[in-house]
Amino acid sequence: MTTPSKQATVIGGGSWGTALAHLMAVAGARVKLWMRNDERVQEINTAHTNTRYLKDRPIHPAVEATSDLAAAAAFAELIVVAIPSANFRAIAYELGDCVSGDQILISATKGFEAEHLTRMSQILREETCCRKIGAISGPNLADEVMDNHPTATVVASPMEEVVEKAGLLLAGPTLRVYGNHDLTGVEVMGALKNIVAIAAGVCTGMGYGQNSLAMLLTRGLAEISRFGEALGADRMTALGLAGLGDLIATCGSPLSRNNTLGRKLAAGMTLAEAQADTIKVAEGVNTTYAASMHAARLGVDMPITRAVNAILFEEHKPADVLVKLMSRANRYEHSEIPIDAPRPVEGSVIDTALSVAARSRGW
Amino acid sequence: MQNTLRDAAIVEVRSRVLEACLMQAQLPDGMPLDVLVNDTLYHEKKRLEVDRQSPTWAEDVAFWDGIKNRLGRASEGEVKEILKAVLERFTDEIRGNFSPVLYGVATRVLPRALPVLLNAMSPKRLLQRGVPDIGETIRIEGNIAGLKRMNELGTVILTPTHVSNLDSPVIGWAIYAMGLPPFTYGAGLNLFSNPVMSLFMRNLGAYRVDRQKTAPLYKDVLKEYATVSLELGQPNLFFPAGTRVRSGRVEQRLKLGLLSAGLRAYTNNLSKRKEKPNIYIVPCTLNYHLVLEAETLIEDHLQREGKARYIILDDESTRARKILNFTQNLVNLDARITVHVGDPVDPFGNRVDPESGESLDRHGRTIDIRRYVTDRQGVPVHVPQRDRVYTAEAGEAVAREFLKHNVIVSTQLVAFTLWEMLKHRHKGLDMYRLIRAGDEGAGTSATALVERVMRVWQALRERDTAGLLHLEEGVVESGDAAAIVQTALRHFGTYHARPVIVRRGDRVFSEDMKLLYYYSNRLRGYGLEKELEPVLKKEVA
Repeated sequence: MTTPSKQATVIGGGSWGTALAHLMAVAGARVKLWMRNDERVQEINTAHTNTRYLKDRPIHPAVEATSDLAAAAAFAELIVVAIPSANFRAIAYELGDCVSGDQILISATKGFEAEHLTRMSQILREETCCRKIGAISGPNLADEVMDNHPTATVVASPMEEVVEKAGLLLAGPTLRVYGNHDLTGVEVMGALKNIVAIAAGVCTGMGYGQNSLAMLLTRGLAEISRFGEALGADRMTALGLAGLGDLIATCGSPLSRNNTLGRKLAAGMTLAEAQADTIKVAEGVNTTYAASMHAARLGVDMPITRAVNAILFEEHKPADVLVKLMSRANRYEHSEIPIDAPRPVEGSVIDTALSVAARSRGW
Repeated sequence: MQNTLRDAAIVEVRSRVLEACLMQAQLPDGMPLDVLVNDTLYHEKKRLEVDRQSPTWAEDVAFWDGIKNRLGRASEGEVKEILKAVLERFTDEIRGNFSPVLYGVATRVLPRALPVLLNAMSPKRLLQRGVPDIGETIRIEGNIAGLKRMNELGTVILTPTHVSNLDSPVIGWAIYAMGLPPFTYGAGLNLFSNPVMSLFMRNLGAYRVDRQKTAPLYKDVLKEYATVSLELGQPNLFFPAGTRVRSGRVEQRLKLGLLSAGLRAYTNNLSKRKEKPNIYIVPCTLNYHLVLEAETLIEDHLQREGKARYIILDDESTRARKILNFTQNLVNLDARITVHVGDPVDPFGNRVDPESGESLDRHGRTIDIRRYVTDRQGVPVHVPQRDRVYTAEAGEAVAREFLKHNVIVSTQLVAFTLWEMLKHRHKGLDMYRLIRAGDEGAGTSATALVERVMRVWQALRERDTAGLLHLEEGVVESGDAAAIVQTALRHFGTYHARPVIVRRGDRVFSEDMKLLYYYSNRLRGYGLEKELEPVLKKEVA
């Protein structure tokens, strides 16, 4: 197949959508960037900036903004969708009127729909006729991407055609692309890491140092990878760019929205106050709610998520929540069995008798 | 399949597979022809070491010895000839020793022969009452109109659930009764070796599939045969479970072989600009009160977990008397086998408008499915990796249809209720122990069982209304729990060696826990266990 010239469409003109459009333009593509707001369309097409989300960072001139969804959808074979999870389905439905089965849809949004824990790629599948569907996720803070800091990302899809074509468009001088077949894992990790990011923000905001952060990050990764596995994700994905990689970026960076939200909460703001303070959507709030709601059903213990949920929605004080977290039973690292829990008696008859006798003496 | 059509298919399959072999041999990482033949030889030799009961064992051994001798000193040109001979051997076997005369006679006899088999009437009774009405035994319902319409608009792959070797004659009859042309069908060799079955297999347009043959080349030939027959407009029958389901559950993990042949045929049809390129997959369920081979199947399921004997050569369905017993019961109890036709889906798993044949998205918008397989210039292309993803989605759609069109009968409903009650009563026991310990002691109060059946029925009714499953017409649909239990007991008391559930006074007992488990499994996958836990857990006096 011959590609006349590289073209791509991005749906959503927030910071990440704009950054992705810019990245692909830098890599040599002509990019249409769809957004509803006509003023911002104007701004991007004339001043080549998106001040609302990205301050005065210059956007590559090959990015052309539009508010015409049909025209944007018809422009390219590959469409990246970067819409906050709360509006994702509505826009995907509209997009469903404009796309055909040969087009490739990539979700760039990290979140769930709370009720059924629906992933963004599943929404694309449900609302459009498209089947060539994937997701992009990784340590990609929009501001740093715009400032040309080198980084890498994961494009995930069960269909290799999707990975290949998206990879060709996205990879550039400052972005390496890795492929992954585990779409579920990449999306789940991308979404869940935001919960840990909020917790990390709280932790930093309370003035704790690297020990505390490292504990939070490691144990956070353990619980979100367990949750991912329950949803059918591959455990290895948690250790990749979309899992550990993204976790390090968001938990360590003051640029992360979720991290910032956490720090505001630690400073004593309520969720409403913290959210009113910024125009950017912190996806972790919605994700915390969704994950807490489904953790019990899936049989996954998620203490950190529960703690974040208590701070966000039950107005618990971070200090109290921390005491509770620290006073949990001490456990074996991977099996989650409490250290002092009576072990099931196993082994030969003699071993059994001896174990029972020892136990009665307090061993 | 018509004889001429069948021959045309065979010729096409040979040339396609040969061409593909030659083509890939040219590639830098392709398999050279002599290696390919050797690999096939190796698989066949290995099979022949164990597969000694094969009716063509001696011939096969001689054939492959011959190949081995020739291969040793063959030039490049000769290797190609040897490969041709191997392909010829495989395709001839798939086609079978086909006698047009026998086929003609048999097709005329089929409509009469099958009811006789299923009704298992004595000749005397037959003389007194004439040939019975098959409609009394097999009930066909569901989206029959949709199936027929798809057969007009394109080529159909009918995909039934698979619990019994009786499925083939039953679905064969149903196809005939619905006024559809015979469907071609890949049947295991073991079905041909059984005297009762083989007659019907041939009449169903069956071709032979030897599941003992593991050579990749053989599998390629089989799949290409299905593909070509679909391209020739020949409707196909395919059991996506691959083998009879051992556990009694509605199958959810499907073999995708023929579904992918459907996608391939569709793409080829587009390339050839066929007038009716569409391939439609129509799932359907076969529903029995009692399953002929239930004892063997559940035994096999329990013995393994993972390493089932994939092919059971000796079970109830190979014993003529057992079949007669079984069918006799169908007649005596006025039991019906329900064939429920589901809604058509396309090879990508989209639902299809049953009138226009167009594929629809979830919001009912028409989809141009050609775009799934064409490139930006509109040229259809096969991309195996992409197509596997499509086929997996089609498989998921079929699995969903199976659950949706599963028809719940009294035996399953009552078995499920009693099993769950017993499970909660012996909550310390795992499934295997519960089966072994059995339902000993005082049994269960019949009144309590009826009451619990009522509660399960209510949950089923809700799901029926929501379109998640079907309740069998008649007693089950009526919701009269006492009558449902009574009907189930009547069935359970007849055919199986030990009654699955039996009533003594005001108590009911299960005398075969394996079968109780087997029949209960048909209701799994609907989330009933959890929803009804409080009801079924309640202690029974």
